[in-house]
Amino acid sequence: MPAVVVYALVVLYPSIAGAGSAFTDWSGVGNAKSFVGLANFKALFQDDQALGALRNTLLLTVAIVVVQNGIGLLLALGVHTQIKSRMLLRLVFFAPVVVSPVMVAFLWKFVYNPAPDAGLNAALGALGLGSLRQDWLGNPSIALWSVAFTVIWQCAGYSMVIFLAGLEGVPAELHESAMVDGAGTVARFRHITWPLLAPAVTINVMLSTVGGLTLFTQIIAMTNGGPGYATDTLSTVLYKQAFVYGKFGYSTAVALVLAIFVAAVSFVQIGYLRSRETTA
Amino acid sequence: MALDRSVSRRRLLQWAGGATLSAAAAGALAACGGGNGSGSSSGGGTVKVIGVGDQEAGLRKVLDSYKSSHSGFDFNLSFAPADQVQTALRTQLGGGNAPDVHVVYPGNGSAMSMVQLSKAGLLADLSSQSWTQKVPAGFKGAFQNDGKTYIFSPGSSMLGAIYNKKAFATAGVQPPTTWSELLEVCDKLKKKGITPIALGAQTPWITQLIPYALVPGTVYSKTPDFDDKMAAGQASFADSGWVDAMNKYLELQKKGYFNDNPNGTTYEQATSMVATGKAGLAVQVSAVLSAFRAAATTPDDLSMFPFPATDVAADNWIPAGVVVGIAVSAKSKKADQAKSFLDYCGQQENLNTWAEAVSCVPLYGDAKVDPALTSFLPLLKANKAVPFMDQRWPNAEVQPTHFAVVQQLLGGKTTVQDALKKMDDAYRKGA
Repeated sequence: MPAVVVYALVVLYPSIAGAGSAFTDWSGVGNAKSFVGLANFKALFQDDQALGALRNTLLLTVAIVVVQNGIGLLLALGVHTQIKSRMLLRLVFFAPVVVSPVMVAFLWKFVYNPAPDAGLNAALGALGLGSLRQDWLGNPSIALWSVAFTVIWQCAGYSMVIFLAGLEGVPAELHESAMVDGAGTVARFRHITWPLLAPAVTINVMLSTVGGLTLFTQIIAMTNGGPGYATDTLSTVLYKQAFVYGKFGYSTAVALVLAIFVAAVSFVQIGYLRSRETTA
Repeated sequence: MALDRSVSRRRLLQWAGGATLSAAAAGALAACGGGNGSGSSSGGGTVKVIGVGDQEAGLRKVLDSYKSSHSGFDFNLSFAPADQVQTALRTQLGGGNAPDVHVVYPGNGSAMSMVQLSKAGLLADLSSQSWTQKVPAGFKGAFQNDGKTYIFSPGSSMLGAIYNKKAFATAGVQPPTTWSELLEVCDKLKKKGITPIALGAQTPWITQLIPYALVPGTVYSKTPDFDDKMAAGQASFADSGWVDAMNKYLELQKKGYFNDNPNGTTYEQATSMVATGKAGLAVQVSAVLSAFRAAATTPDDLSMFPFPATDVAADNWIPAGVVVGIAVSAKSKKADQAKSFLDYCGQQENLNTWAEAVSCVPLYGDAKVDPALTSFLPLLKANKAVPFMDQRWPNAEVQPTHFAVVQQLLGGKTTVQDALKKMDDAYRKGA
C-alpha cells in the first residue's frame, strides 16, 4: 500500500524520531545536543508560563466546546426549516469557516480596535452602550475571551453544518406521530431530535475539543500570547520555546505532552459519547 | 566546532520530526519557511539575501552599488518582518538551507543573535576582513564571539524621543533635559489636547524602549559595570535601578501621558500619531526615523532628543545600540561572493551610505550624521552611551520575558518587583 509507506515515511518516522528531541537540550540549530533524560518534562511541570498556558487552553476549550456547539445547534435548528431563504442563510452562517484563520484574525483586530470611534467600540457608542467600550485585545482580563469569541464566530457555522446533517437524518414520521400524540416543540426536541442528534454531538464535541486544545493561529495573529501571558496556550508556548527562546528540546517535550493530552481527552470523550449514542 | 558539516539525512528528519510533532499538536505550524528554494539552484552567481524591514533602505543601496561595480554579481533580496525572522530563518538554518547572507542581531540575547548562531557553528568567520580591525573596542562584544568577528553592522542607533516639532511649538515647550522637565512638557502637551507620548505596546518589541531609555540613567551611570555584575551573580534586576526605571514607566501611565490603551495599540498606530502631530513624542530608535518621516506630511517636523531619566543632567546617559546587521551563512555555497560583499560593506564610503540611510552613527570614521541626532553626539563623545541592554543578556528568554512583564505592568496585572523577579529568573537560566 503506497499510501501507508508514504504516511509512515513522511509522518510516522519523523514524528517518532523527532520525539527523541524531547529528551535533549537541543536548541534547534547546530549540532550541540546532549541527553537530559526527563529534565524537560520536570521543568514543564514547574514552568509558570506553561501552567498558565494550560489554564488558558482549558478555559478556551470549554468556552469553545460549549458556546460554539450551542450556537451551531441553534443555527442548525433555525435554518432547518422550509423557509425560502434557508439556503442563503446556511451559506451566510457557513461563510466564515472557509476564510483563512489568519484573515479572520486580522479582520477581528480591526473590529477590536481600542479607539472609541472604531470597530466594535464605535458600534457600542452608536447604540448608546458607550460604557461597555473596551480595550478588547489589550486588557489582560478580557483578551482571552475576545480571542475565544473570534474562534467561535468563525467555527459556529462548521458545527451548524454537522448538526444540520444530523437533523436531516431525523425521520419526519417520528415528529408527525409525536405531533398527533400532542407533543409540543420542546417535547419533540427533547425526546426525538436530541437523542437522534447524538452522533452529530459526538463529532462536534470531538472536533471542537481538539480544535480548542490545539488553538494557535488566531492567537499568534491577534495577540501573540499577550498582553503579558494572558492569551498564551500550550501551542503558543511550544512555538515560542522552539522559535523565540531557542529551546527546541523543551518545546518538543511540551508538544509531546500536549499530543498525549489531546489523545487521552479524545479517547475518554469518544468512549463516553459513543456509549451515550447506543443508549439513546 | 565543525563549521561546514552538512546536515545529515537523519538530523534533517529528526528536525522535521520535531516540527511535525509540534505541527500535529499546534495544528497550524506548517509552512512557516516561506522560501521559494530558488537561491541555491540558480548557480548563476545570484546571492540570496534576507534582511528585516529596518535594514532595507541601507542594505538595498549597498547591494545595488556593489552589483553595478561587480559584473558577475547578482542578488535576490527579500525581507522578513522582525517578529517572524526567528521562525522563518531559524527553520532554514536548522534545515541547512539558510540564505547566503542573512540578518543577524548583534551581541547575545536573542535566538537570532550573533553569539547564539556562531556558537551553533552557523556563521562564517569574517575576522580576516580589514574592516574588522576598526570595530571600536566598546562594540567588540556585539561583533565578536571567542575573538572572531561574525557580523557586519553599519553602526549604532540612538534610542531617545522622536518628537513632533509642531506639536511641541503648539504647546510652547522645548525638548526637556531632566525627568522633571519631561513631566512638565508632557503636562503642557496634555493640556493642549495632544497625547504626550505615543506608546504602541501591543507590538512586543516596543514595550522595551522606555526602560531602555531610562536604565542608562537609573542604572549604568551609577554602576557602569552592571552587566558584569549581573553575569557574576552579584546584581539583579529586582535590586537595582531597574526598579526606578519601571516605576517611572508606570508614573507616565498613571499621569495619563500615554495614549489610551497602549496594550491595544500597535507600533504603526503610534508612529502615525507622532508623525501627524496627534502625539508629541514616542520613545524610539533612530533607525526608524525614516519610517516616521515617511508617515509625516512634512518630514522636517520630526527630530530627536535624549530621553532624560533623572533630575541630575550629568546622569542622563543614553542607550546606543549596534543596529541589526548581516552575516554569511557558514553553509553558503556562495560564501566567497558573500564575504566579498561584506568586505565591500566595511569600506568607509559604503558604511557611510548604509548608516546614513538608516539614521545611525557610522561604526567608524567621521561621516556626517542625521541632524536629528545632533543632541546625542556630545554624550557619545563623553562615553555616556551604553549598548542596548539585551545585547549582553545571556540567553534568548530574558528579552521576551521583558516584553511580557511590561505588558502585564501596563495592564495592571503585576507589580514592579514581581516583574523584575521574572526577568531575574529568566536571566539565571543561563546561556
